[in-house]
Amino acid sequence: MKEESKENLVCGLCAITSVFAFLLVWYLGCTFTALGKLLPDPITVLIGMWGYIVGTVGKCSLLMHALHSLQRVLIGFLIGSALGISLGLLMGRYRLARAIFNPIFRVIRPIPPIAWIPISIIWFGLGETPKIFLIALAAFANTTLNAMTGAESVDKTVINAAKMLGANEFQIFTTVVIPSAVPSIFAGLQVGISCAWASVVAAEMVKASNGLGWIIQAGMDNNNMTQIISGIIMIGLGGFILTYIMRTIEGVACRWNRSGR
Amino acid sequence: MEQERKMKAGIECINAGKVFVTPEGEHEVVRNLSFATKENEFLVLFGPGQCGKTTIINMIAGFEDVTSGRILADGKKVEKPEPSRGVVFQNIALFPWMTTMGNVEYGLKIRGVKKEQRRAEAQKYIDLVGLSGFENSFPVQLSGGMKQRVGIARAYCNEPEVMLMDEPFGALDAQTRYLMQEELQRIWSAEKRTVIFVTNNIEEALYLADRIIVLTNCPATIKKEYVIDLPRPRNLVSEEFLALRREITGILDSSQED
Amino acid sequence: MLKKKKWGYTLASLVSVVTVLAAWYICINVLHLKAETVFPGPITVAKTFFQKLYTKAPDGATLLVHLASSLKVALLGYALGVVFGVPVGIMMAWNKWVDRFVRPLFDLIRPVPGLAWIPMFILLFGIGIMPKAAVIFLSTAVACIVNCYTGIRQTRQEHLWVGDVFGASDAQKLFRIAIPTALPMIFTGLRVAMGAAWMALVAAELLAASEGLGYMIQQGRYSSKPALVFVGMLMIGLVGLAMDVVLHWLEKKVAKGMNAE
Repeated sequence: MKEESKENLVCGLCAITSVFAFLLVWYLGCTFTALGKLLPDPITVLIGMWGYIVGTVGKCSLLMHALHSLQRVLIGFLIGSALGISLGLLMGRYRLARAIFNPIFRVIRPIPPIAWIPISIIWFGLGETPKIFLIALAAFANTTLNAMTGAESVDKTVINAAKMLGANEFQIFTTVVIPSAVPSIFAGLQVGISCAWASVVAAEMVKASNGLGWIIQAGMDNNNMTQIISGIIMIGLGGFILTYIMRTIEGVACRWNRSGR
Repeated sequence: MEQERKMKAGIECINAGKVFVTPEGEHEVVRNLSFATKENEFLVLFGPGQCGKTTIINMIAGFEDVTSGRILADGKKVEKPEPSRGVVFQNIALFPWMTTMGNVEYGLKIRGVKKEQRRAEAQKYIDLVGLSGFENSFPVQLSGGMKQRVGIARAYCNEPEVMLMDEPFGALDAQTRYLMQEELQRIWSAEKRTVIFVTNNIEEALYLADRIIVLTNCPATIKKEYVIDLPRPRNLVSEEFLALRREITGILDSSQED
Repeated sequence: MLKKKKWGYTLASLVSVVTVLAAWYICINVLHLKAETVFPGPITVAKTFFQKLYTKAPDGATLLVHLASSLKVALLGYALGVVFGVPVGIMMAWNKWVDRFVRPLFDLIRPVPGLAWIPMFILLFGIGIMPKAAVIFLSTAVACIVNCYTGIRQTRQEHLWVGDVFGASDAQKLFRIAIPTALPMIFTGLRVAMGAAWMALVAAELLAASEGLGYMIQQGRYSSKPALVFVGMLMIGLVGLAMDVVLHWLEKKVAKGMNAE
């Protein structure tokens, strides 16, 4: 216990030192070298970012932009992962479903969601639909395969156990196949949420009037490095929060899968 | 008529056989197996290592088809798994995402038994196998022996007419295994059922059985049958016990030499 | 009987592919549910593909030139990223002090999707090969570091003790025990990184480029030639798949028997 807290202290000190050193190098680099012409120093960025949070950048505050992006991600992610998980589970359990959908899925999967941006704009115009379509696609592509492997690799004797207790096929699917695929599904959701986050940023960079992707894109157009860095920080923060939420949900849903202590 | 139907209750194997077809050719695992259980009898199928014992249990349970002969349960041909034949698995096969209570009440739940009723029923069997206090534990939190207790309670709670046990203690360490044999003896005495129990451990067979069917090695056929009428609980070092043990081990050795 | 069933499933796959193609053709070319300027029919797409092999319109280069340009940037950035990311990941996992100082910085960068750096790099490096290569480098490095780190961390303490018993030096333990243990994970990293790199490249080319597949599909959108967008997407998917197959083959060659899981 004491050993552990000492280790934590050392780690904390090291982390602070290294982050501080990084900021210092950044600051000194900007103050004393030619880098300063291109890059604002960390203090300028911090002040600028505070300005964006309390004030506005574009039409609204930085936080509102983040909320716009998050909202898109959540809607698209829910649609995409619901579709992906259902299809994946069916494909994993029933060979006929796999035979039918796998060839189509195999053509679509290797295309990165971002490559769908132009065609989604052609199809759905410039509003919210193409972005949500894109995010749904990112979530779909990443969850289907994992749900499929999960449903496929259910322990056969566990299924036999359910059968001998009297479960019919529908009950086996809902009470055995689905729960035992949950850890695998969460592995897919984990990748899916980061991919969806990257996709929303990309989509907003290509065509949007708000959102974090728009912030960095507009920053580039106006040659405003502070705005870009603020945007990047928010994007990082958003990504972190999303994966953190995902992990927490996973921890609860898969608590039977961890060795209990 | 009524009399005849009663006679047919339990499991009856008639010349049952199993041949697996693999890319390398045909592989005969079980040959010409014929036996019938009596009511509330503890029947042990005893045989060496990989002699197709699990296949026999799988066929009786309805997980696998026979390729020749017939297997009857209550006079009807076995076609698929049914709640009337409970199985305790060698690798335990609990539902890892369910608690002890969830596992034990599963059979009642999918049959639509009301929550309070099935909880009470499940609790009865959890208490019977000695797991009171572990109702809300997940299988990962239990030891091997405790997991198999859940497995036994789960099968029991479904109120099957016949219990099929496929080397249920095979994965346990020697000490736990011995304890579990005592436990099973106690549970079975408290809740009598017809049991078909498969093992490759002679001591376990002699300790538990009313009757032992000795199987030969692959393909499994019946070598010999013993009725064990030693008083229970049995003394592992009594004269009779040791004599029987020596005899059965002996015929098995000679059969392996053939 | 088993064989018959297998044939049945293959048939189902074939039927499904043919059905999709037929439905596509009928919806677009027979029923005209969508104009070909929005959703091109399969024949138009195939025709565009062959035409694009030798025509330069509307984006100034043939398909293969775009492809070569994309591949060049992707492989350059990828190679640099691997050369940097793999050793850093290994060192972080192997050496406590490197871990303590570098990981906090890494944890700050990791949640930011690679493509969010595009605007910043364009401002820093101008438009050309540099910003794209830098984005790909970063995406690749992050994926490599994560996987190498996890891989090395999987080394079993007992195996290291065996090394100690035989008097192995620290370097020997690293190269003979830890790295072979981590090899399957390292290869996973290389494949994940390839996916990330390819995605980052497409994003970069959508935003700022004068050639490459991403640029081609963006131009296809501007000039209302969705068939060209389709061809580009399929090409992007195909190349991504091909690179994954190559890496998978390489993995099997190098790490045979080691990724038993």
